[in-house]
Amino acid sequence: MDKPGIKRRDFVKMGLLTAAASALGTGVMKPVGLWAATPKIKGPIKVGYQAVLSGTLAGYGEFHKMGALMALEEINAAGGIAGNKLEMEVRDSTLAAPAALQNVRYFVDSWEADLLAGVDSSGQALAVAPVVGQLDRILMVTHAATEKLTEDEVFKKGIKQVFRICTPTYQDGNAAAFVAKDLPATTWATINPKYEYGFTTWNMFQDTLGKLKPGVKFVADSWAPFGTTDFRPHINTIMDAKPEGLYSVVWAGELITMMKQAQQAGMFDKIKYVLLPVGAAMDVLEGLGPEMPDNIWISGRYFFLYPDSPQNKEWVANFRKRWNHYPAYVSETAYSTMFAFKKAIEACGSKETAQLITALEGMELDSPAGKRVFRKEDHQAMYDVPWGLTATDPKYPFKIMGKQVVIPAKECFNRPPFEGDASKPPFKS
Amino acid sequence: MKSNWKYIIVALMLLVLIGIGYFSSRFVLYLAMKIMILSIFAMGYNILFGRTGLLSFGHAAFYATGAYGVALCSMHVHTHPLVGIMVGIAAAAFLALIIGFFCVRHTEIYFAMLTLAFGMMVFSLMWNLRDITGGDDGLSGIMRGSVSLGFLKISITKDSQFYFLVLFFFALSMLLVHRIYQSPFGLVLAGIRENHVRTEFAGLGVKRYRLAAFVVSGAFAGLAGALGLLLESNVTPFAAHWSHSANPVLVSLMGGLQTFSGPIVGSIVFVLLREFIERFTHNWMLWFGVILLAIILGFRGGIVGSTTQLVKRLSKVS
Repeated sequence: MDKPGIKRRDFVKMGLLTAAASALGTGVMKPVGLWAATPKIKGPIKVGYQAVLSGTLAGYGEFHKMGALMALEEINAAGGIAGNKLEMEVRDSTLAAPAALQNVRYFVDSWEADLLAGVDSSGQALAVAPVVGQLDRILMVTHAATEKLTEDEVFKKGIKQVFRICTPTYQDGNAAAFVAKDLPATTWATINPKYEYGFTTWNMFQDTLGKLKPGVKFVADSWAPFGTTDFRPHINTIMDAKPEGLYSVVWAGELITMMKQAQQAGMFDKIKYVLLPVGAAMDVLEGLGPEMPDNIWISGRYFFLYPDSPQNKEWVANFRKRWNHYPAYVSETAYSTMFAFKKAIEACGSKETAQLITALEGMELDSPAGKRVFRKEDHQAMYDVPWGLTATDPKYPFKIMGKQVVIPAKECFNRPPFEGDASKPPFKS
Repeated sequence: MKSNWKYIIVALMLLVLIGIGYFSSRFVLYLAMKIMILSIFAMGYNILFGRTGLLSFGHAAFYATGAYGVALCSMHVHTHPLVGIMVGIAAAAFLALIIGFFCVRHTEIYFAMLTLAFGMMVFSLMWNLRDITGGDDGLSGIMRGSVSLGFLKISITKDSQFYFLVLFFFALSMLLVHRIYQSPFGLVLAGIRENHVRTEFAGLGVKRYRLAAFVVSGAFAGLAGALGLLLESNVTPFAAHWSHSANPVLVSLMGGLQTFSGPIVGSIVFVLLREFIERFTHNWMLWFGVILLAIILGFRGGIVGSTTQLVKRLSKVS
């Protein structure tokens, strides 16, 4: 047969050639490291920020952007960071790990970012951490909550480039247990997301509450996959088990749906104590409006009415003026991230990663959410976020946090070395 | 003359790829590796799609199996990358054998739906077997060990070193796929695509050939997954999701189904186009979709197919 293409023998030759070159290539040294040599603060300070900007959770990305952009404007209006302009580029993280990885590489290797921030999902954060370590840039995580990030990647594996400014799952699991122990309920159940976040938080809640209040029972669990729109089977399962308390970290649009369907099913007449660790997110409160029942326990990573400090009040007022929105928690974490970068760079007089790590470790930061301290061992920001009961206030078109209880981060966050019971609350001292 | 021309193109491409490996920045290296891995995925896939005429929507399952195979192997058994890659390919091929056994009884839309269903079954297995696969967090932080060949040890920790391993497998895959297309086996597959009744009357077991094509393409998907894992040091169940299965379909369609180099050209366009658009707008998905649509509708026979036709027509005229 007359073949129009190249002959097989030619092809084999080329294959061998390539193989030989490949084998050679790995052995030969090649100058890398030009990128690594960042001189003393020179030129603009570039922050690569990624958040979800597409799909059903795109609203979160917009709130990330609002906070970050506002900080950028304020910092540059006041003369930048140590006299240098702050620059930012925002990219869509799409909630998928491969996209997050590509963004990080684009930021560092192509756009030449000095610092990185953002990241929404836990899976993304865990995927990105080792790469950030290799690329040697600071990454400030502003939304992903998995405790594995700080416990395993930073503390145990020593990826010192990763920091987290938002509260981790401890706030959702452990702190909720501290709230639950003072409630009369002795039987608890959950409708939780059917993925790592849901499993981890429910385990943490059971573990800590079991220690705080021996004898408490966990009677039912129902797992809702990502994208659930019909929560009625889950609600029925829970109501059949007749618990006194319900715990749920279902979040964003799904939480709105669940609350509406639970209301219709009359669940809140039967179950008096409801804990929603991420119920204080603005998209949920605004989305439910008056349909959010009163006296539901809610929390988040930040709530705009706490702390009652002049700094926070001024910030919320400015934010409303700039964007005509109440700040979501990701807006606050994004905003404070920029100021954390500013403080760290000015403290060490450099934008080099190694020096920034030293500057950030143990650094205190006055932010709208109150005083944050970056814990030296695991790079987790320690700050308090209240738990509170939903209440109606004529000043707001949505439910706010009425009675507030603060469980200090020191009491409810796991402690290094993150092994054994001594690392988990309750702590003796 | 014509065969020389193609020879030159392939030689040039390999030269450029080697040049990239030695001289370009880390981000270009990364993109080049992504393109090569997607090419391997799509070239293997096209044995089934373009050659045999079977549209599968479940190949991400084999990609993910390859990736998890390497990850689990390097976590629990051995960190040697070649051992991992072999395990990944073997696991993917084995899975393809089982799934293919049930799927090749059908063709067209029934085949596509079956592969989709099986693919999603693999996805939910990976999602739910949390103790093994890490649930939706996946497995991360898998470091690349060095390639030891007994007498010499080659480090592939750095991207600039790992690049050449990817290039090696890319060239090897090209060679193998080309060989398959030229072989009697490949010709039978084309025969099945054109007229499977006639092929059957010629005394050939159509189902067995389909199954073989399915397993071979599954093995290539496994290789792509294995290399993808080593590149990103991470895998999540979404690697097995049907939306990921759509990538090789799109890439093959864009480049040209009935061509050898179509999947490669498609991969280049697919990766670079997205990277390019994202620099201009956050609505990259919209523009990406519009441009893909234009390419698929506008270029009959894909980019490669329509270009070669154009070249032919021009050379006739002159």
